[in-house]
Amino acid sequence: MKYPLFKSGIEQKKSRWGLFFVIPSILFFSLFSFYPIFTALYTSFFRKKLLSLQPPDFIALQNYAYLLKSPDFWNSIRATAVFTIGTFIPIVILSLILANFIVSRKRFQQFFQMAYYSPAVLSSVVVAVIWLLIFDPRGLGNQVLNFLFNSPGVDHKFLANSIMVQISTMVVYSWKYLGYFTIIFIVGLTTIPQSTHEAALIDGASRWQDFYYITLPLLKPTTVLVSVMSMLQCLKTFSTQYLFTQGGAPMAPINVITLNIYHTAIRDHRIGRASAMSVILFFIMLIFTWLQFRVSRSEEVSY
Amino acid sequence: MKRVVILFAIVFLLSLSAYAQQKIEIIYWTHEDPNRTEIENRYIEEFEAANPGVTIKRVTNPSNKMAEIVLTAFAANQGPDMFNLQIEDEYAYIVNNRLAPIDYKAAGYDSLEAVYQDYMPGTLDSVTFENNLYGLPMELTNWCIYLNKRVFWDAGLDPDKDYPKTWEEMVEVSEKIVIRDGEIITRRGFDFRYPYYLVAMVPMAEQLGGKLISDDGKKAIINDEAWLKFLTYMQQWGPNGKNLGSPTYTNARNLFNKDNNDIAMCQSGLYQQGRIRADNPEFYDSGDWAVIPYPLFEDAVRDVASAYYGHYFVVNQQKPKENQEITWKFISYMLNYPEEYLVKVGLIQPKVRLMESDEFKNMPYSDVFRQDMERGHIVYYGENSAIIQQHIREAVESVMLAGRTPEAALQVLKLKVQEVLEEE
Amino acid sequence: MQKKWQKKTKNSNISSIIINSFIWLFLIGTAMFVLAPLVFMFTASVMPASDVMKMPFPWIPKGIYWQNYWQGIRGNDGSFIYIRNILNSFIVASSVTVTTVILSAITGFGLAKYRFWGRNAVFMLIMATFMIPFEAIMIPLYLVVTKLGLQNSYQGLIIPFLVNAFGIFLMRQYFITFPDEILDAARIDGASEMMIFRTIIVPNSIPAMATLAVLTFKSQWDNLLWPLLIVQSEEMKTIPQYIVRFISEKHTDEGALMAVASIASIPILILFLRLSKYFIGGAALFSSRKG
Repeated sequence: MKYPLFKSGIEQKKSRWGLFFVIPSILFFSLFSFYPIFTALYTSFFRKKLLSLQPPDFIALQNYAYLLKSPDFWNSIRATAVFTIGTFIPIVILSLILANFIVSRKRFQQFFQMAYYSPAVLSSVVVAVIWLLIFDPRGLGNQVLNFLFNSPGVDHKFLANSIMVQISTMVVYSWKYLGYFTIIFIVGLTTIPQSTHEAALIDGASRWQDFYYITLPLLKPTTVLVSVMSMLQCLKTFSTQYLFTQGGAPMAPINVITLNIYHTAIRDHRIGRASAMSVILFFIMLIFTWLQFRVSRSEEVSY
Repeated sequence: MKRVVILFAIVFLLSLSAYAQQKIEIIYWTHEDPNRTEIENRYIEEFEAANPGVTIKRVTNPSNKMAEIVLTAFAANQGPDMFNLQIEDEYAYIVNNRLAPIDYKAAGYDSLEAVYQDYMPGTLDSVTFENNLYGLPMELTNWCIYLNKRVFWDAGLDPDKDYPKTWEEMVEVSEKIVIRDGEIITRRGFDFRYPYYLVAMVPMAEQLGGKLISDDGKKAIINDEAWLKFLTYMQQWGPNGKNLGSPTYTNARNLFNKDNNDIAMCQSGLYQQGRIRADNPEFYDSGDWAVIPYPLFEDAVRDVASAYYGHYFVVNQQKPKENQEITWKFISYMLNYPEEYLVKVGLIQPKVRLMESDEFKNMPYSDVFRQDMERGHIVYYGENSAIIQQHIREAVESVMLAGRTPEAALQVLKLKVQEVLEEE
Repeated sequence: MQKKWQKKTKNSNISSIIINSFIWLFLIGTAMFVLAPLVFMFTASVMPASDVMKMPFPWIPKGIYWQNYWQGIRGNDGSFIYIRNILNSFIVASSVTVTTVILSAITGFGLAKYRFWGRNAVFMLIMATFMIPFEAIMIPLYLVVTKLGLQNSYQGLIIPFLVNAFGIFLMRQYFITFPDEILDAARIDGASEMMIFRTIIVPNSIPAMATLAVLTFKSQWDNLLWPLLIVQSEEMKTIPQYIVRFISEKHTDEGALMAVASIASIPILILFLRLSKYFIGGAALFSSRKG
């Protein structure tokens, strides 16, 4: 960042103004974010029951030790990892393809963008209600698949089968966020100068070669951004899994970390252990964010 | 001089208490139940009129969110004056000293004994802790089987004779009733009430001689053979077995009211009658429905019907004494109308006088519910019951849906419940 | 870029026609998959419950069954509380939107254009709040809000969301690319920093602020868990709470459920259609970020 040379007095004044602009938000975050976060961190070192009025026992790292030994927690790590990988890879690939296809069209560009984006504006309660009806054994899901594959009467067990229920959560999530990432890619695509493509085509490159050797490398920053962002969001996923388990789906396959935190705190009243889980999740996400910052800094592309 | 001071003091205290009385607001959290809202709002009006200066604020929450909302509030020491939850959820509040013991005088009783005498024997045990009484029951509910005669006729069965008396017959009858489109069931004979494993399913294992927890409270899941048989039964019920039902279908008791020829039997309490009447008056008035007892396994060693669960009114111990007093007074005022709760809402308050009343006896099929209640026991209500229920749920789901063998599921279940017991 | 593809299709041969039609099919197929659940919602909302769960699903309703909408608006108890709940959602979402935009702009500006001690630390701390799952801080947050006596009020619904890390991040990215020369020129002309913000920054960042506004409005519209905890009276509840309540009142039917869902979705869909360039612009901003 470039700063013109000013006298240090002005520089000092500016720095005071900078602080002044930031202070309202800092005060806000202190009360409504940092304080709760530190409470969670502090609580994670105690054996604390939510309803108990007794002072909690300090147990140092025992909550963490318990979690690292608990098959239930590892299952949550697995469920979260499976969901994250199974969601963000298809989202990235599919939205990349869709974005390329859309910009290759002369007409209906706007229509497709808006159509793909529209589910993102629905509230998650509504989304869950719609999809629970679709995934009902007698619902649309079975009807459509059986029509497409000409397999009358097959129950695909969208919510019942432990593999299918994982796929179902991925489908719902991808359905909701596909359009969002498609649009990011479209913007990324339109920032690639046309001259680059034209030069490649004049050199006799095919459309596919143009895509593979020109578009893809230049889209790398956008791709990395989309992957890391969707990964972060997937790690935090809660509402789809929560509403599915409420709707009768088996818990174990889709017991993601956030759901586990919620149950450990609210159902089992073990707030110390739940806090420890949150802290672990926090660090997992911190690693990914650090990655995001690092990658987005080093991947500046100049045309 | 002295007299004047005393007089002043008295006047001062009186004015204080008058002032305090003016300000008392009782916050009452409960779950949504339209029929109950109607009558309780009336009780509140009457109570407020009879007790000037007292206002009762009744707040309703979605029933499946109630436990969470109350818990968060209490964790932040901001609980309401009074609330009701299912006893499984409420018990933790008792053992953690969050509730105030009953003020029997405020509640209009001469002694604690008199309170116990007012209720059916045993029904206050779950809210009795260290010789104190912490709650009064708003309802005690057990589930029997509701039966749609029209579906039975449609399947060529005689509902009066062919209704299932055993779990084995339940399978046979369901197989006759069930209609499928390929694997997809479009009409079910019967289906379980899935999320409520402690109420609806643990008694099945108990019939076979099983136990959730040993009498000394140290060992979990007693009698492998019984539990295996129960899990095998559930496996056979599910989509990987005889495909008669599954937790992912629309829940049975909601479909039942519609009388759409898609379910013949469901599990529910006496209150379901009010719901049928509200949803589908034609079906209710036709009398083409019946209630039958909770079935028994053919080789049952114990006669156990569905467990009963209770909602108890309880009082927040952190509120000022005068609030607690008024709250108990208000609770006992509401509970003075068990007949109306029964007739208008379908809730049974286990008061001796209600069980003997004509209103109860005239309720359709109330005798079935009463007999089943005598066969049953209260639901397991330890501080850890929610997590134990979750483990049973996982075991049943893993045999019904994930294709795990009952033996493997039982192993996991035993380990997990044992761990819960040992952690306490 | 379009020109380029045009050139390509001009020397079209059979394979490019096949590719071309495949692309159309793929786009249309995906659009159908994405839109089908929405169409299902609206179709089912005008059907009696017995038709909704029929196999196969009758895509074209036999008639318009308006009773569903009537029941949805009226509520099971006939209190018409849904109208009030919709109003609440609007009040809360709009207030949060206004404060988020203003605070994010100010903070983002401060972080992007001023150097002061601890600036990077502040930025990282703010970003860290983005990584906390709400479930983890729910109880301490509840404690703060109830201690302030804000339960059951608009303030209680609004204040915990006055500003968020995402908004600050978005605005900071936007301001970073803003030329310093313009700001310095204004300073030389004697403008105060506050004036610079008001007269130069704000007018030039209207599109970015509009984007943030729309995204914030959307996410508040969706908020369920917090209102559930903090609001107890029917008059203060918001739309998602109403839907949850409507679902849990067991004797309602699928058709009415879809009507309630439709009513909740229509305002935000209209908003989206009217302001689509900002929604889409939002993604654009995000992808043009440079750290």
